[in-house]
Amino acid sequence: MDLFVQQLVNGLTLGSIYCLVALGLTLIYGIMEVPNFAHGHLYMIGAYVTLFSMTLYGLNYWLSSILAGIVLGIVGVLMERIVFHPLRHAPSSNKFIAAIGAMMFLEALARVLWGSDFRSMPAVYDQVVLIGGIRVTEQRIIVIVSAILLMLALNLFLKKTIIGSSIEATAQNREGAGQVGIDVNSVAMITFGIASFLAAVAAALAGPIFLVFPSMGALIIMKAFVIIVVGGMGSIPGAILGGYILGVTESMGATYVSTDYKDIVAFLVLILILAVKPTGLFAEGKR
Amino acid sequence: MVSKRKSFLVLAFVFLFLVSIMAAGCGSTKPAATTTQGTSGGPAKVVNVGWSGPLSGGAAIYGQDTVEGLKMAVDEINGQGGITVSGQKYTINLITLDDQYMPNMTATNARRLRSENKVPVIFTPHAGGVYALQEFNLEEKFLIIAHSADPQIAERGNKLTFVAAPPFSGQPEPFSKVAMEKYGKKVALVPATHKYAKDWTTTFVSVWEKLGGQVTGNFAVDYNKETDFYTYVSKALATKPDVLFVGGPSKPTAMIIKQARQLGFKGGFILMDQARLEEMEKVVPLSDLTGCIGMMPLHKMPGPGVSKFVEDFKSKYNGKLPTFHHAGNYMAMKIVARGMEKAGTVDDAAKIFEGMKQIFPIKEVGFPYELTGINSNGSLQVEEAGVMVVDGKYGPPIPISVKK
Repeated sequence: MDLFVQQLVNGLTLGSIYCLVALGLTLIYGIMEVPNFAHGHLYMIGAYVTLFSMTLYGLNYWLSSILAGIVLGIVGVLMERIVFHPLRHAPSSNKFIAAIGAMMFLEALARVLWGSDFRSMPAVYDQVVLIGGIRVTEQRIIVIVSAILLMLALNLFLKKTIIGSSIEATAQNREGAGQVGIDVNSVAMITFGIASFLAAVAAALAGPIFLVFPSMGALIIMKAFVIIVVGGMGSIPGAILGGYILGVTESMGATYVSTDYKDIVAFLVLILILAVKPTGLFAEGKR
Repeated sequence: MVSKRKSFLVLAFVFLFLVSIMAAGCGSTKPAATTTQGTSGGPAKVVNVGWSGPLSGGAAIYGQDTVEGLKMAVDEINGQGGITVSGQKYTINLITLDDQYMPNMTATNARRLRSENKVPVIFTPHAGGVYALQEFNLEEKFLIIAHSADPQIAERGNKLTFVAAPPFSGQPEPFSKVAMEKYGKKVALVPATHKYAKDWTTTFVSVWEKLGGQVTGNFAVDYNKETDFYTYVSKALATKPDVLFVGGPSKPTAMIIKQARQLGFKGGFILMDQARLEEMEKVVPLSDLTGCIGMMPLHKMPGPGVSKFVEDFKSKYNGKLPTFHHAGNYMAMKIVARGMEKAGTVDDAAKIFEGMKQIFPIKEVGFPYELTGINSNGSLQVEEAGVMVVDGKYGPPIPISVKK
């Protein structure tokens, strides 16, 4: 029983990180219909920014995380302007290729600037907390709680503010939104900014648990894609539920089936869900 | 139409970018000068030696380490005026080509080194590359200098392969004995998944069971791909082991150990030799590595040869601490140079190898390790040692017996 609860917590920690990255990906897809392959690499850059803010500038963990969020928010906006905005009328295959190009550029850049080596973020909240029979570090509790708070904040932002409503409106119908006076361009920039902010904060949360290295982005983007396909492309509740499902299935699959089949179990669940609901859990009917 | 042109431009940019990445991966060749001025008067000729290994991609750091060791030896030899072969002075020119750790590229590089630069010896620091070269090195008549602990390289019986790193097969037994005595006989395996790790694990398991130990389960994990090891470590610890067998790249290995401690594990760790304690210390403080049994860091080895090498290396490379990869390649280059002098040729690979076998034993300050010889299957005999971290400090050396 202890093992079950322990693995559930492990799965939720993983799931929380997946959710935050997948949320950004699904937001961008909703607005732009661009599969932003470079999103995982923004996550990676976010991890490096947090790492260097802490080690080179001596900022504390929380300030570094917020700084990384802001810096990456700006990078996200720039990316939209430089890479995707010029392609807004182009066929989707062009955007597709541009996204892959941006991804390779960012990874190569990271290798040139910071090398291929693994780096570790100073772990500030490393104390082990015993809850019942299970052992969790403070950092893992921070990951789970912060992810929930961020998701609640995102929800409030989308539902209660005018900018948020504009984003939702644009996601539902881009041309219609333009006709009722929503500045679709700004919405695209803001969406990229928010998505990149979320990715950077997710990286800052995950950083102390694992290592920081240039290909970390390519690993998480795979998972995030699976999640938004399962959850329904463009769907926010889908990304959240999908993130937790993938995290928990991975950890339970490894525990009760076999560590060798961890990914197989996770992807089997993906196939099953898609077989029953080909459009994903929360597909939006109208588009 | 403007947008079409723009999108074409972007496509063109992406394409150019991809091409530039590929070009960057192809490595660099230094033009080989034909003659230079030797310090001892009279024109010195140049002998080229080749190296093929990873200079880009995930293993780039490792590749650079081996090159640094070789370069240090080359600079030292050339600084003293080069080598004297049958009365003729030669300086050594090291040509390095990137193979991104891919055996097919090692083979291509070797053919290029052989046809363009006429190298008699080619260094390669990975087992896959060595296997690829062993397919044709006898025909093309060049000596492979293999820096890899894979025991199968020597077992293949290739007559022109010099294995410059001791095989790992001597390590599992002394490590297992120390772990069993201190912690107990139940081990859970959490190794990496690449071929070298699998071979190591197989050897380790047979030794552990032969010594009367029990394996509670194998929870292999891809150290480079997994974002979190908690799931694996939790499952391994649920089998109540006394010892965990771990190993892959150093820093992820250190994270696994840290996470096992966080999850309440009190036992010991046996490290596959790819994980180096001196590298792991950079991620996790040594006090948290208590109970780890692995290879002794180079700078902790006793002897005047080691301390001189460490000091020389640090002053040459801005205070960087050398590892066995540096020392092993440094020694291998010096052995090759002396072998050429002894054999009286810089062209004939077979004679050079014969010459190399005749320069032992070597016990002098210019060599970090005492070397007793090259055994019948072409392996260098190096006395390495293991160590256990006790109460946050390195313990006494654990002797590793090399099979003669």
